[in-house]
Amino acid sequence: MNVVFALLLGVCTVNAQDNLAQRDTTKILEEIKVKAKGKKKIKTDMKLAVSVDEFLASSQSISFIKRGAYAWEPLLNNMSSERSSITIDGMHVFGACTDKMDPITSYVETNNLSTVDIKSGQEGNLHGATVAGSIDLQRKSTAFGLDKKVTGSYQTGFEFNNKQHFNLADMSYSGNRFVADGSISFRKAKNYHSGDNKEVKHSQFNKFNSSIGLAYKTGERSALRIDAIYDKAKDVGFPALPMDLWLSRALITSASYKQIFEDNIIQFWDTKVYYNTIEHYMDDTTRPENLVHMDMPGWSTTYGLLSKIALKRGRLTSEVQLNAYDNLSIAEMRMYPQDRSKRTMFAYSWPWITTRFAGLSTSNSLDLSDKSHLTFGGSLGWNYNYSKYVEFNKIFYPDAPQKKNSILPSLHASYHVNVARFDFSVGSGYGHRAPSISESYGYYIYNSFDRYDYIGNPHLKNEISYEINATAGYKSNKMGIQAKVNYFYIQDYIVGRILSMGSPMNYQSVGVKGYTALDHANILNLAISTNYDILPHLHWKGTITYARATDGQRGNLPFIRPLSYQTSLHYMYKRFGIQTSLNGDAVQRDYSPEYGEDKTPAYQIWNASADYVLPIQKVNATLQIGAENILDTYYSTYADWGNIPRMGRNIFTSLKINF
Amino acid sequence: MEKIILFLTVLCCTLSSCTKEKTDYEAEIDTIVPERIEFKEVTNFKSGNYTIRIEALGGQLYKGYNQIRLKIEAPDQPAPSTVTLLPILTDSQGKISSCPHRYEQLYQAEEGYFEGYVVFTEESRNTSHWDLHIGFTAAEQLHSNSQRIQVRPQDNKNLNMTSFTGNDGEQYFIALIAPQKPKVAENNLTAGIYKYNKPKALSSSSTIDPAQFSYSQVEGYTLQLDPRMPEPSMGNHSSPNNKDLVQGTDKLYHGVVNYTMTGNWTLNFILLNHQGRIVKGTVVPNDFTPGVEGIKSELHIDILF
Repeated sequence: MNVVFALLLGVCTVNAQDNLAQRDTTKILEEIKVKAKGKKKIKTDMKLAVSVDEFLASSQSISFIKRGAYAWEPLLNNMSSERSSITIDGMHVFGACTDKMDPITSYVETNNLSTVDIKSGQEGNLHGATVAGSIDLQRKSTAFGLDKKVTGSYQTGFEFNNKQHFNLADMSYSGNRFVADGSISFRKAKNYHSGDNKEVKHSQFNKFNSSIGLAYKTGERSALRIDAIYDKAKDVGFPALPMDLWLSRALITSASYKQIFEDNIIQFWDTKVYYNTIEHYMDDTTRPENLVHMDMPGWSTTYGLLSKIALKRGRLTSEVQLNAYDNLSIAEMRMYPQDRSKRTMFAYSWPWITTRFAGLSTSNSLDLSDKSHLTFGGSLGWNYNYSKYVEFNKIFYPDAPQKKNSILPSLHASYHVNVARFDFSVGSGYGHRAPSISESYGYYIYNSFDRYDYIGNPHLKNEISYEINATAGYKSNKMGIQAKVNYFYIQDYIVGRILSMGSPMNYQSVGVKGYTALDHANILNLAISTNYDILPHLHWKGTITYARATDGQRGNLPFIRPLSYQTSLHYMYKRFGIQTSLNGDAVQRDYSPEYGEDKTPAYQIWNASADYVLPIQKVNATLQIGAENILDTYYSTYADWGNIPRMGRNIFTSLKINF
Repeated sequence: MEKIILFLTVLCCTLSSCTKEKTDYEAEIDTIVPERIEFKEVTNFKSGNYTIRIEALGGQLYKGYNQIRLKIEAPDQPAPSTVTLLPILTDSQGKISSCPHRYEQLYQAEEGYFEGYVVFTEESRNTSHWDLHIGFTAAEQLHSNSQRIQVRPQDNKNLNMTSFTGNDGEQYFIALIAPQKPKVAENNLTAGIYKYNKPKALSSSSTIDPAQFSYSQVEGYTLQLDPRMPEPSMGNHSSPNNKDLVQGTDKLYHGVVNYTMTGNWTLNFILLNHQGRIVKGTVVPNDFTPGVEGIKSELHIDILF
């Protein structure tokens, strides 16, 4: 299991082991058998059966803003989700909720993913412009002509704290000319209880997810593949928000054609067209305490194209990718007067915003010697926004343009070297990102964290990021240690500032904030991870992370993770595995009252689990039981929206069968 | 394979259809805000050889501001000149009064009609009625006519009007003229501000004396604007970037009102004279007070869209 986790970390962020370099030799020919049967990688140290959020949380570079038990907003390098490029197999999907209740990660399920590819900073520009990096959720796709034609897995489990039960199943068929993958999953949870055994109301969730993928070999070296994911969440509570989710549905589809070339500079060419649509309906009828009844539906539809060519010549391997998409995002807000016979009040919180993007990116790796290599790349993108009802935006910004174009360049390079058991890398990057649609065109989007209504500013400039990063590692047979650091200097960093005009629209709100740009912001991330094999079957791991971010005037930026640590022990004996971990954050010293934060105290959580591989022939069945937050600590983290408490003691059980 | 693709296409269509329909925002405003763009005939009558046609937007007259076109036609007759119009309200006691109007109509040579306006202060009722007294000169002969007309209640709240006695003892009228159909946007707001000119001497004549019913457009005043949503749950919500109304070259008052969402709004006014003294109106509180109905200025007009 450690190996798997180490492998995952290897894929993550800046790393001496660039996965592109690995891919070139062996993988290219097998690309059509992409990620073959491989072992299930989606699990954490503690849990075999996890949600996508729990899985992402196990990465050092990702933290989460949590508004409840469901659909956590991933922060990469301590930057909010609009600064990262979050894609599913390179496809852009945009959430339909103005309050970020539906990050893209909430529309997939662990049993339709093979892995998650996390890249830090400009290295993540392959799928589109970014500042923080990229999170690419990679779908499972079975190879052609495997020895074992039918494979599958089934996971079930129960978590006692919130009475969550889940059933996840997936199956694959691998023929010589035809491949099919399918998955289905159900999760249902009731309210969770915090450390003082108080029920956290409105924290239930209910998720259904299914996916299908069909591939057909059209020639010796070419294949056509179609994929679809359907996800439906219903009756999901968001305890930190004044509204819950009644229903959200996503349909994510794609069709791709891939051609492999042999004995040529061109390795393969993969072209994909995609379409996805999301609908998201908030609900406040479960909150009778609300003064105003509101409807807040949102829709997001995206069409896109992605075309990638992999090239190799001598010691240079390259990927060139064309990305294009068109997204239409609509969000409405309807307030009901107390006297329901009166006219309702209506406005668009996203007044029909179209975003178009087209960009060409490249990522290259050049082997300088056996021990060193250079990776470099760049991208040039064009971003276009169109506000259909620009008159909404003109209320605050009378000369708001209806259309806006911007050019998004990006460059990155890094040098990697191995010296005996040490490896080092240094890198740098430069890139632009266009403001998100909420930042540019959002209209009275209520932020329950600082209790302000946010107004988009159509005049915002691109955020420009300058970054440097470095890693250093040491590996021996028994131990490994790795340190990573990155620093971002971000010009025209977009934040919300109190506007001297206008008055709140949402009754809970205390004022109006408009998006504006700081002259610059500084963000520093530091992570050190170590592992040590105490005995052949006893492994220890430890991680410590630190981040610091300022607004350039010595003020702190919000949602920056304080000093945090995790340490874990893992013991294996025959069919048994036992693991225990301790993790926590130090006190949030550098909090930001200006952005609605208060000082979050330190906390420490102790977890343990045990698993047992059942002695059954032919199938691989594992049983696990464990407990999170064994001491039932009452805590909330720096990124818990409105300081909602986290889950108290949670005993979990799961059974996983692979066949 | 084809069957599978077909099946998936059908499935996609089913799954991608929305659960809730999107709001047709513009059509929704249309349902409660009637917009009248075309001038149509309200009524016509004969005066000698002349046919007088009264035209207004939508072919109806409403309480509030009405732009009026008079077409006075007769084949082979000399063209009429000095066309006058005087609206007269007769109440149940037989007492007569008038309302702001343009007495001498402006001739629009190109279009061939006489143009004026009337700000009806009341709608026609069973007990009270409006007559338009129309006079003109043709071939040095004076024609005077009176035509009973129907004034309907204003069905578009964006064209509401108000009348009041100012702190200076004068009688004032403010009528909204534009926009007929506001949007959630920056709207150019146009209003007419009128004043009753008190007659110097009371008339003793039994015929209607126009001097007794003289109104004029108020010159050089300022109408300060503070739009707010009165709905209690909106907590006295207001909007930014509004502009007070000042007089333009067309004598009407022009300003800017921003409506941040559809619904009920109150235009709170303070009318200032040329010296900047308050003629009418009070400052409304600025506080955000969720759950409490917004306090209105003593001079205000409610709109709805």
